[in-house]
Amino acid sequence: MSQNIAIKEKYPPGDFAVWIIIYVELITFGLLFLGYAFSRRGDVAMFNESQLMLNQTSGFINTLILVTSSYFVIKAVKAITSMSEESIAEANAKASKWLLLAIGCGVAFGFVKGAEFYHIFGQGINLSTNKFFMFYIMLTAFHFMHVMLGTFILFVIYKKTKTEGYIFGDYRGIETGASYWHMVDLLWIVLFPLVYIIR
Amino acid sequence: MKKYLEFVWAILAILTVFAYLLGYLKIISTFFVAVLLFTTFIKGQLVIDYFMGLKDVRLRYRIIPTLWLSIIITLIGVAYYLPIAPSQ
Repeated sequence: MSQNIAIKEKYPPGDFAVWIIIYVELITFGLLFLGYAFSRRGDVAMFNESQLMLNQTSGFINTLILVTSSYFVIKAVKAITSMSEESIAEANAKASKWLLLAIGCGVAFGFVKGAEFYHIFGQGINLSTNKFFMFYIMLTAFHFMHVMLGTFILFVIYKKTKTEGYIFGDYRGIETGASYWHMVDLLWIVLFPLVYIIR
Repeated sequence: MKKYLEFVWAILAILTVFAYLLGYLKIISTFFVAVLLFTTFIKGQLVIDYFMGLKDVRLRYRIIPTLWLSIIITLIGVAYYLPIAPSQ
């Protein structure tokens, strides 16, 4: 009798330390998400009215940007992890191309978010305007900082691929950075409908 | 399936457009909030499984973000659907 047993990896991709960071970040943002959701119950009308002042289109564009950047990052990871000893230069070149696209997405996210903040703060809105904007600014600014850090990490990985720094069997660095980036994407996937759409 | 990453990206993009249209066309209702939360779970799980690569990892590591996503989405739903007591 033949058995079809899927062989599972023992540990998640990348350095294990980044997964500790990821789990802590998920809990932190999770508490903020729930803080928003349950605070909304205190004054639904005010939350709905304040939400109308947000630009849903910029939230939508940023969601598309992040999921697309995650696709570029996983393509870069696949390019490196599928290399052979003979294709090191080719794999690094391919990965650098994908990473450059992902970095472009990170920068584009920053511009869109910057324009959104400029519009919101230009209207005199700040953390103490009301509870909705307190959560909105806290969540999106905190997430924005993660995007910027993630973009910097991708840039460091990109620089390494340009010097053919990833060799056969050495994937940990790129997998670590990629895992962090996908976490940033995952957080935004929950944040976007919660803050911009649900009313 | 060789192009599975492209397929995952396409699903993510389509569900994002769907969420945006619900808001843009102002057709978000209590029913559509449930649909939106469900599609958000699907999107998150696709990222966890295929982009983070946890599909091929032992369950004990894969289950943590999946549990996180399930609990957060469920509690957001509870916060939305639980009746609000009228103020005195």
